[in-house]
Amino acid sequence: MNKQDGILIFILIILSLLGMAFFYLSEKDGPKKAVVYYEDQVVLEIDLTQKEEKTYQVEGFNGMVTIESKDGKVKVASENSPLHLCSKQGYISSSYETIVCLPNKIVVAIEANDSLDAVAK
Amino acid sequence: MEIKKLTRLSMLLALSVILGLLENMIPFFSGIIPGLKLGLANIVVLFVLYTFSSKDAFFLSILRVILMGLISTGLFSIRFFLSLGGALLSFVVMALSKKYTKLSVIGTSVLGSIAHSVGQILVAILLIKQGLMIYYLPWLLLFSIPTGIVVGYMSKYFIDYFEKRLKINF
Repeated sequence: MNKQDGILIFILIILSLLGMAFFYLSEKDGPKKAVVYYEDQVVLEIDLTQKEEKTYQVEGFNGMVTIESKDGKVKVASENSPLHLCSKQGYISSSYETIVCLPNKIVVAIEANDSLDAVAK
Repeated sequence: MEIKKLTRLSMLLALSVILGLLENMIPFFSGIIPGLKLGLANIVVLFVLYTFSSKDAFFLSILRVILMGLISTGLFSIRFFLSLGGALLSFVVMALSKKYTKLSVIGTSVLGSIAHSVGQILVAILLIKQGLMIYYLPWLLLFSIPTGIVVGYMSKYFIDYFEKRLKINF
């Protein structure tokens, strides 16, 4: 490893930490909702202020995707894909976290809940 | 192409496929972040880039993705396009880094590892038309650095071994 390598690695570490800090700091306090996308279409919105456990199903590219919400957290419970990466990921609850199910073209994101009377569609 | 060179490149290609398959059997890395892996096959790409030429490294890299597609991921599946995007961007960045910067094999490997992550994310964003995947980027960047350093040191060892100790000119 030479000096240039050291400088490069240092800059890259700083850049990735700055990126993380930016995502952490851009999170807003207040009520949240989980938004489920199929490609760029919103297919489901879940109010995350509710405490009780609820199960939803949406149509993915490879079949049905089961999504569970509980205590302000949301996870993909089951889905049909080769590696099951998105159901292994578990619960997410912050706006800088996302669950991506590439084979099913499903993305679960957390967003601020602006409308107080938002109901799960 | 000289027969000797053709044979050596074919064996290196086979080696890179085996390393890729071996790596799929280690579930540890993708448990941390989806898509994260050590990148052992990149040892072979770096080796060819530094001891043969960038053209040979390019063909090895592309053929590796196609062979991996046939053997494990499935041709033209989502994982195939992810690997292809990662491999292409990673090759371009490493070839440029070797030609135009004073970085050693280790620095080039780190850049290649990062370019692989970025390439994969870009393909993923194009495939499902969803920009939210950008949240993975800082994490992938941070973890790409140690994997790039490990792969870089291993490549450096092999390049030095073949060039200095065995006195083989490819």
